[in-house]
Amino acid sequence: MAHPSQLGFQDAASPVMEELLHFHDHALMIVFMISTLVLYIIIAMVTTDLTNKYILDSQEIEVIWTVLPGLILILIALPSLRILYLMDEINDPHLTIKAMGHQWYWSYEYTDYEELGFDSYMIPTQDLSPGQFRLLETDHRMVVPSESPVRVLVSAEDVLHSWAVPALGVKMDAVPGRLNQTAFVASRSGVYYGQCSEICGANHSFMPIVVEAVPLEHFENWSSLMLEDA
Amino acid sequence: MSMFAVVRKQLKSHPALIPLFVFIGGGATMSMMYLARLGLRNPDVCWDRKNNPEPWNKMAPTDQYKFYTVNMDYSKLKKQGPDF
Repeated sequence: MAHPSQLGFQDAASPVMEELLHFHDHALMIVFMISTLVLYIIIAMVTTDLTNKYILDSQEIEVIWTVLPGLILILIALPSLRILYLMDEINDPHLTIKAMGHQWYWSYEYTDYEELGFDSYMIPTQDLSPGQFRLLETDHRMVVPSESPVRVLVSAEDVLHSWAVPALGVKMDAVPGRLNQTAFVASRSGVYYGQCSEICGANHSFMPIVVEAVPLEHFENWSSLMLEDA
Repeated sequence: MSMFAVVRKQLKSHPALIPLFVFIGGGATMSMMYLARLGLRNPDVCWDRKNNPEPWNKMAPTDQYKFYTVNMDYSKLKKQGPDF
């Protein structure tokens, strides 16, 4: 999860998020180089003792500063499009979970084998135990098996919401009357936090998402326990 | 003179503008080609209401509908839903 004064992305917990991180590094490096060049040119122009500072015509430099930005844009576009298409691929998920947005909580349904469904409300600040995260913890977490492709079908029961977990590189709008599909693979076991990402009323900031990735045997134990409690 | 002839004449005295035409022309061509591909190949689009009224009902798991696949091998997939 995010830590105070964090500037960059959270550590990647899925292969897609790793790709996004690396692409961001690539694009940011290009942006830093261009910004440094521009800043240098500005300072050089402003601090020079030369009096004839303005070139009136030069075909060679015009070619250079047309072709070079074009090439740079292509260098950015090709990895970007590759990741765009990669993110749309759904590679034979082992499990399908429905995440339904309500005002103001999420509900998860695991209906592949048995009928398992539960609501996930935020834990109010006054009820937190020491060590728990304010405005991020929920009473029931969405537990998934680690290293297994999981498909999430996202929808909403009342107004627009959005199901997002930054560490997994996942965000999908929850639209009433529409079923949106996304998928992820949790590369390692862990707890991953997200928050509702589409304004949905008074408690939009208070309906977080917690995904807990556990090894498969633990997932099976958890789902049996949840079915007994229901 | 036609517009193309005028531009060609002007380009001779300003050859540095040729890369501009290449990149802008290339970008415009690529986007128009993608739009054409979407119009013709996208299963959501219906051109012939009499002979092919609902192309989205004829999708097979082994067809590739996206422009580019990174990791998926569509020829290996099997149909998972029921026939209707």
